[in-house]
Amino acid sequence: MTPKILPSLIAVIDIGTHKTVSLVGQMINGKARMLGFSERRTEGVVKGTVIDLERLHRCVHEVINDVERSSGRSIEQVYLSLSGPAAEGERIKGIHAIPAHDGKVTAKDVTDAIASAKRLEPPAGRATLLYMRQPTTIDGRAVANPVGMAGKRLEVHFWRVTMEEGNMRMRVGMVNGMSVKVRDFILASHAAACATASDSDKQGVLVIDMGAGTTDWILYYKEHILCAGSIPVGGEHMTNDLSVALRISRETAEDLKIRFGSAMHREADANQTIWKDGDRGLGDQQFNRGTITQVLSLRYQETIEYVKKDIMQHLDQLFPGRAVKLDQYFLPAGIILTGGSANLTDAADAVHAIMQLPTRIGVPTFENDSLRKPEYAGVVGLMTAAITDSPPPVRRQRGFLASLKDLFRF
Amino acid sequence: MERPPSILLVGLGGAGCSIVARLAAQLPPEIGVALIDTDTRSFQQIPGAMVVQIGRAQTRGMGTGGEAALGAASAESDEAALRRAFTGVPIVAMVTGLGGGTGSGAAAVVAGYAAEVGATVLTFATMPFSHEGERRQRQANEATGVLGLKCHGLVVVHNDLLLQQVAADAPLSESFAAADTWVGGALRALAGAFAPGALVAADPAALRSILANPGSPTLFAFGVGTGEGAAMKAARAACECPLAHGPSSVTKVASLFVHVAGGPTLTTTAAFEAVAAVRTRFGGETSTIVCARVNPELGDRIEVSVLGASLPAPKSPAKAKKGAKAGDPSQPMFEFATEEAMRRGLFGGTPMTFIDGQDIDVPTYIRKAVRLPPSP
Repeated sequence: MTPKILPSLIAVIDIGTHKTVSLVGQMINGKARMLGFSERRTEGVVKGTVIDLERLHRCVHEVINDVERSSGRSIEQVYLSLSGPAAEGERIKGIHAIPAHDGKVTAKDVTDAIASAKRLEPPAGRATLLYMRQPTTIDGRAVANPVGMAGKRLEVHFWRVTMEEGNMRMRVGMVNGMSVKVRDFILASHAAACATASDSDKQGVLVIDMGAGTTDWILYYKEHILCAGSIPVGGEHMTNDLSVALRISRETAEDLKIRFGSAMHREADANQTIWKDGDRGLGDQQFNRGTITQVLSLRYQETIEYVKKDIMQHLDQLFPGRAVKLDQYFLPAGIILTGGSANLTDAADAVHAIMQLPTRIGVPTFENDSLRKPEYAGVVGLMTAAITDSPPPVRRQRGFLASLKDLFRF
Repeated sequence: MERPPSILLVGLGGAGCSIVARLAAQLPPEIGVALIDTDTRSFQQIPGAMVVQIGRAQTRGMGTGGEAALGAASAESDEAALRRAFTGVPIVAMVTGLGGGTGSGAAAVVAGYAAEVGATVLTFATMPFSHEGERRQRQANEATGVLGLKCHGLVVVHNDLLLQQVAADAPLSESFAAADTWVGGALRALAGAFAPGALVAADPAALRSILANPGSPTLFAFGVGTGEGAAMKAARAACECPLAHGPSSVTKVASLFVHVAGGPTLTTTAAFEAVAAVRTRFGGETSTIVCARVNPELGDRIEVSVLGASLPAPKSPAKAKKGAKAGDPSQPMFEFATEEAMRRGLFGGTPMTFIDGQDIDVPTYIRKAVRLPPSP
């Protein structure tokens, strides 16, 4: 069957705990142009876990319908973002002995090494979702392109992300159910990094994508992903803490978090009294601002501590016995904080205080002004990652009628 | 043989026995006290109290070492003695600490025997501190699921909450005193309600009708007010009682038992004002049982205690239970999620997420026991 869509059409969808966003773009002269965008409040997801499949299904369906309408294109394949601790990453390697007769690496040697790495089966019951390239080495030396170089032993490394099979089937099924296919998965933290970190940043940078349900992190070193992980805590937890502490509804807590919240508890806030609505009308309530900042800052800082701990555990596994430090030499570009929870006041200061590295808020660079916010780093990055990681297929030879149809679209 | 007491306060396990020992001194004489444990050391805390040593064969007078199965077996082996202890007692108030062996294992068994011999069983269970780790937390959670089905009312007191009630530099004993105040208040209220001489009286059968649905979460709140407008102050304190806090949606109940006790100045109007305030907060549309009592010892203090039970969760496929299959043994846990919801808020009913043995869905300030500034 010939595809109905233009081959260079790229659709991405990011299903988060708080919102589901979809973006459709097209490659024109090597640059991405946005054709359609849609966004909806996600339903049926709590803490990054699906609790009501039916409602989520409907929500995803509506988002896809909206984006098809706004772009005027029909979507056949989408890139799906992948976040949360359910997706586990690990380093795998493929080894290939270089034939001794000339001792030079050929393109075939590289393909063989890659094939041997990908032959490694994931643990029982888990399915491989994606591979991300890590440095290639010849006799232990990292090289950018091994072809033509001399050596004995060629090693290719991948960051492999696996997920429990049932969970993966559910995610794929969510999209597949509406005659749209999942083309590929993209790690959400990698997407966020693609939108906010430059290539020179990737010499050494930590990107923390703090969403509503999960906080995903990814570490780049020498332009390659080194490791990535996720903590099942996000902005929703802060809202919840606030609603438990002040005994208020989720909506009120969310509103107070945005207006008065902070990731740093300062003495100045301690005895400041704030009003819920501000009009002092019926039902207006007074709160102590110190309580709000205290509750939020405790949770925020704890979450960053967990991220730090998780990173150190991963580094220990990758480099056993070598106490790697998270410092300026290792990560010259410091930390990029992005995702919806990066909007919290003083978020970067709080991260800096714990990690002791320069921290900045990552805002995606995009033609569309309304998407230049930390919470859209994920979806914008998905688009960027989809283009750079797996270039869209070349335009196939198609029937006369189909090309006529395209002609009238413009 | 002497007449059995109208209310029997039972301490079960190490933690339960020590709470009861602390309370015993300040209780009115109508309340009988019994201690049940595998460990004989617990019995030395109150000389002369009724004691039932369980599991002599299993533990030889020692503790259970945190094994819930051993606790359950110990209680089962002494069935006859336990049944005898509860015979003829209309109300059994059991206090136990969950997470360990005797509390987690034996509580459901003991409550079952008491209910079978005709007593109305109300259990106060303390949950372990977050820092005590995942295993005890899980053991305690499993125990609440089973225990809730065996007794008529189950009030859960989170130890983490206790730490928050006092300043960070306060001695440990002070935070436990908060729990004693709550449980003690509840027992005094129960004793006061059924003893002769109440202003507005109730009988044990009425309490039973309130708590008639085993397995449904029990609400408990306690508040004290003094001086001008003491009744309203006490009612407000009860509404804000940390034991009953959480998003208002989960603490609406079907039936309420409200007890107001005060000194000679307590007026009927004040008492009913307090009841009305409590009803607005917690519901109680189906039935509210009101008790009021004048106790000269209280002076200008007024105490309001609230007990409430929600209706059993509807059997229709509630949305939140999508994940659980019919006949799933974990289902009662979901029905019991309301109690969890008080602490976990919006995440009540979702699976717990553990990092370093702590349920991280519980607010950080609760787990770190940070005392928040008072609200204006």
